[in-house]
Amino acid sequence: MNHRVITCILCPNGCELEVGWDGEPTTQSVEVLGNLCAKGISYALDELTHPERTLTTSIRVRGGVQRLASVKTVSPIPREAVVAARELLQPMVLNAPVAIGQVVVEDVARTGVQVIVTRAVASQSDPEQS
Amino acid sequence: MPRLERPTDQPIPGGGSMFDIVLIGAGVVGSAIARVLSQYRCTVAVIEKESDVGMAASSRNSGVIHAGINYAPDSLRARFCMQGRKLLLTWCDELNVPYKVCGKLIVAPSEEEVPGLRRLRSTGEANGVPGLAIIGPNEITELQPGIKAVAALHVPSSGIVSPYAMTLAMAEEAAVNGVTFLLECEATQIRPVDGGYAVDTDRGTVSGRWVINSAGIHAGHLAQTIDPEAPDLYPCVGEYLILDKQVGESLAMSVYPAPPVGGAGLGVHITPTTEGNVLLGPSDEYVSDPETTSCAGKTADQLLEEAMIMWPALPRHLVIGAYAGIRAKRTSPSVGGFGDFLIRQTPSADRVVHLIGIESPGLTAAPAIADYVVHEILHANEPLVQKPLSEVVHRPWSTRFDDLPEEEKERLVAKDPNYGDIICRCEGVTKHELLHALNNPLGVKTLTGIKYRCRATMGRCSGGYCLPRMVEILQEEHGWEPDDFVLRGPSSPAFAGRLIEERHD
Amino acid sequence: MTEQIREFDVAVIGGGPAGLAAAAAAASQGAQVALIDRNSQLGGILNQCIHDGFGLHAFGEVLTGPEFADRYVRRATDAGVFLQSNTLVTSLAPSGEIICSRYGQRKQLRAKAIVLAMGCRERTRGMIRIPGYRPAGVYTAGTAQWLTNLANVRIGRRVVILGSGDIGLIMARRLTWEGAEVIAVIEKLPYPSGLPRNINQCLLDYEIPLHLSHSVTCIHGKDRVERVTVSRFDETGTPVAGSEFDLVCDTLLLSVGLIPENELSRRAGVVLDRTTSGATVGASYMTNVPGIFSCGNVLHIHDLADWAAEEGERAGASAAKYAEGIHGDAVVEESIPIRAGDGIRYVIPQRVSRSTDQVLMSFRVTEPRGKTTIRAISGKAMIGSTQLNKAHPATMVQLRIQIEDLAGPVEVTCS
Repeated sequence: MNHRVITCILCPNGCELEVGWDGEPTTQSVEVLGNLCAKGISYALDELTHPERTLTTSIRVRGGVQRLASVKTVSPIPREAVVAARELLQPMVLNAPVAIGQVVVEDVARTGVQVIVTRAVASQSDPEQS
Repeated sequence: MPRLERPTDQPIPGGGSMFDIVLIGAGVVGSAIARVLSQYRCTVAVIEKESDVGMAASSRNSGVIHAGINYAPDSLRARFCMQGRKLLLTWCDELNVPYKVCGKLIVAPSEEEVPGLRRLRSTGEANGVPGLAIIGPNEITELQPGIKAVAALHVPSSGIVSPYAMTLAMAEEAAVNGVTFLLECEATQIRPVDGGYAVDTDRGTVSGRWVINSAGIHAGHLAQTIDPEAPDLYPCVGEYLILDKQVGESLAMSVYPAPPVGGAGLGVHITPTTEGNVLLGPSDEYVSDPETTSCAGKTADQLLEEAMIMWPALPRHLVIGAYAGIRAKRTSPSVGGFGDFLIRQTPSADRVVHLIGIESPGLTAAPAIADYVVHEILHANEPLVQKPLSEVVHRPWSTRFDDLPEEEKERLVAKDPNYGDIICRCEGVTKHELLHALNNPLGVKTLTGIKYRCRATMGRCSGGYCLPRMVEILQEEHGWEPDDFVLRGPSSPAFAGRLIEERHD
Repeated sequence: MTEQIREFDVAVIGGGPAGLAAAAAAASQGAQVALIDRNSQLGGILNQCIHDGFGLHAFGEVLTGPEFADRYVRRATDAGVFLQSNTLVTSLAPSGEIICSRYGQRKQLRAKAIVLAMGCRERTRGMIRIPGYRPAGVYTAGTAQWLTNLANVRIGRRVVILGSGDIGLIMARRLTWEGAEVIAVIEKLPYPSGLPRNINQCLLDYEIPLHLSHSVTCIHGKDRVERVTVSRFDETGTPVAGSEFDLVCDTLLLSVGLIPENELSRRAGVVLDRTTSGATVGASYMTNVPGIFSCGNVLHIHDLADWAAEEGERAGASAAKYAEGIHGDAVVEESIPIRAGDGIRYVIPQRVSRSTDQVLMSFRVTEPRGKTTIRAISGKAMIGSTQLNKAHPATMVQLRIQIEDLAGPVEVTCS
C-alpha cells in the first residue's frame, strides 16, 4: 500500500489528507482520510495523477493609470505548465482601458484554459472609465 | 529615458583653479563652518565622501543641546559648549530648525551616586551653567513622572535639537550662498602645492589656499598625511533605540544617569526628540571599523535594561528602530574617558587646520567652533570681507505641515494642492514636502536624503506606507526608473530593475 | 478649500473588505453613508493580493483579491454609499467629527456613527530588532507585494523571507514565478504561521526550504543586503550557539506579523486590547466610545478577507441602527465580559449585553493542536461548544452562543 500526506489547497481549511492506494492511483484504489468535504478526495487523486494549479500574475498595460493589470487562468492548469504559461504571458501588453473578466489568451500553453483580467485598469486619458 | 543626475556628474574643478578655502567633511562642524564662510567674499569647496551632508556622527547622536556640566572649566569642550549653546539657539531661530530647551535630569538611582551629582553641579557652576539644582523624588516626579531615583541634578538650560535638520539647514544655506559641495568625493591626502595645498580625492584633486580638515572620525589619519605629529582617533560605536511617538507623549525632558566613571560615553540616557519620538542610548564600545553602523542584538536588550532602571514602566514593546553612530575619540580603549577637542594648525603648514576629536558635545559646540575657526584663525591671518546683508540669501528649514494649526493647513492647501496629498501616514508628510525635499540645493536624490529632509519613511512603519507612494509619484510624474531609487548612494540600490521589462512603446 | 460640513448617518474609515462591507450593510438599512479611503483604488490591500483564494465563504467561488474587492465596491456603490477615495482621515473626534485631507482640499464631515476599518500595518525590522546593518533590500512582505504587483518594480534577485505569514508565503511563489531565487523561508516558531495550503502550493511546489525554529540573527552589508546569518532557536526563544549559518542574498523580506492601525482610534479615546492591539468591543462591535464601531483587521488580525468582510457587515448594520437611534443593543451598556481561557489567545467581542439574542465569537488558539474541543462556559454551565479536527493559531475560529444561556461572564477554553 502506498501512502502520502497531502495538504488540500482548495479552501482555507487546508485539510491534511492521509492518502493510501494500491497499484495505480484511481478513483477505486485511492482511500482518503482527514477530508472535511468530498472535494478532498478528488483533489487527492488529482494531486497523485496530474496536479493542477491556478496561475495568477501580471501583464503590462499601455496608456493606463497603472502599469500592470492582474490576470489569472480561469481554472487550474497542469502544475508543470504554470511556469511556461507565465513565460508566454510575460511579453504581452494590453491597451487601457482593461476590464475585469476581459479575455487575454484563449488557450494558454495549450492547456485549453483562458487567461482573464482580474483587476480593471482605467485609461490615462479617461481615468473615470474602467 | 535620461538617467537621473548624480553628484559624480559634477566635475571636480581642475585646471589649476584654486579655492580660497577647501573644507573636508560636511558633518555638523564642516557645515557650520561652510555657513559662516558663505557670508564672506571667498570661494569655498566642501569635500564630502557620502552622498549627502551629515550622514555620519552628525545625524547619529542624541540630539541633545548640552548645558556644559560635564567638561573641565579650562577645556575647549567647556568653552565651545558654553559659547556654542548660545549660538546654536540663535542659529536655530535663524534657520527655523526645531529645538526645545526642555531641561535635563541627571538621576541617582541610589545614595551612592549622589556625590557624583554634586561634582557635576560644581563643574557646571564653574562653567557658568545657570539654575542647577539637586532635587528629591517629589520634585523629580513633578518634572518627569515615572522616574525612579533618590535624587537628581536638574539642568534647566539643557535642550534638544534635530541634529540632521541642523546640519542640512546649515549646508543648504551655505550652498545657496555660493559654497560648492562636492559629494561622493573622498579626500585621501593633503599636500603642499604652489600657493596653497592640494587635497587629493578619489575623483581628482581640489586645491585651496586654506584647507580645513573636519573629517570627523577620519580627521586624525587624514591630518597625518601632512602633519605626522597629529594624534590618532579611536572609533567608539554608540547604539540607540528609537521609540514610537506614543512614548514621547509622556517624556518631557532628557533623563541621564550619573555619568559612569571612566566611561567613554555619558551613560545610557532617555531623551525626547524634537519630532516627538524617544531615544534610548547610546552604548559605548570601541571598534576597529570606523565606518561600522551595525547594531548588536545584545546591546539593544542592554540599553532597555539600563534605561528601565531609571524609567521602570518604559513601554519596551514600542521600539520602532535602531541606529548606531561612531564617536571620534582621542582616548584609546585602555585610557577611556574623554579627551579634549583639538584645533591644530599644521606646524609646517599653518593654513592647514585640523579639527580632531570633536565628539560630544560637538553638536552643541559646532557653531562656536565654526566661529572660532573662521574669525580667530582665518580672519586673523588675512581679513575676510563680509558680504553685504542684502547679498546673503536666507534659507529657513521648512516647518512641518503636520505641526501647523488647521487654518494654516487650509491656507497652504489652497495655495498648493499638493499640501492636501498626505503621502506618509505616520509622520503626516505631504506631497508638497516630498517635492520640496527632492528639490534641495545640494541635489541629493537618495531615499535617506528625502527621509532627513521631510521625514517620509522615518515613522513607525519604516516606509511601509510611504515608500510605495513615493515610488508611484516619482515613477509616474517624474520619470524615475527603478534604478534611480537608492537608499544612501549609488552602492545602495533599493531595487533590481523592472519586474516585467518595459520596452518604450 | 473647505466646504460646508457634510453630515452623514454613518462614516466608514477605510475601504478594504471590512469597510466596504460595513458601508454597504449600513446603507442597505437606509442610512446615509460615507466611506473614506486613502488609496486611489478602493479595496485596500486586496488590490495587491492578485493571487486567488478569496471569496469561498462570501460568494461560494474562488476569486483573486482584486475580483473580491470589485464585488464589494459594486455592493457599496449599488447601496448608494458616498465613496471618497484618495482621502486620508487625519483626525477623528469622539463626537463623530472627522477631518480629512486630499489633493487640493481639507475637508470636515460629521457622522452620528463611525465605523473604524483602517486595517493594519506590518511589523518592521526595527520592531523585532534584527541586529546588523541597515542596508537597502530589507522590505516587509506587503510593501514588496505592492511594489511587485502594482509598481512593476523588481525588489531583488536572491531573496530570503523571514516569517512564514501568508503574505510571505504568497510572495515566495510570486517572486519565484517572476524569476527571482527564493533561498529559504525562516520561521522562529516551531510551526508555520501561514495557512497549510500556502505551505503546500507556495513552498513545497517550488522546493523552497522552510527552516522552523530559526530566525535571522544578523543582516550583513552596509549598502545593500549581502547575506544574512540564521540561527536555530530553542524552546525558550534563545539562539543556540554554534547553530548559525549564512545565506547569501540581496533581499530580506519580513512577514513577521501585522499590527492593527489604531493611531486615529487611540487619539479619539478608544481603549485598546493589549493582546489584539485593536479596540475592545461589545457584540455590536461598538468600542468604549459611544457611536464608534470597529471591524476587520483594525479590530483584530483576520486570516481571511471573507471573515473581515462578514465582520464589517455586522458592524455596519450595528452602526446604522445606532445612527437611527434604535436604542437596542448598540447603546445598551455591554457589561458582561467574555474572556479568553486556557489555550485561547483572545476573544472578540470582549463583552456582551443581555439585549441581543445571540453573539458570534471570533478567536484564535495559542498554539497548534490536533483534535480539539472548544467550549464556552458561563457560570458553571457549558453554553456552546465545537469540535475541530485540528486547531492552529493561523486560523480564526468562530462559535455562536445564545445570550439567554448566560449566567455571568463567559470564558472560552479549548482542550
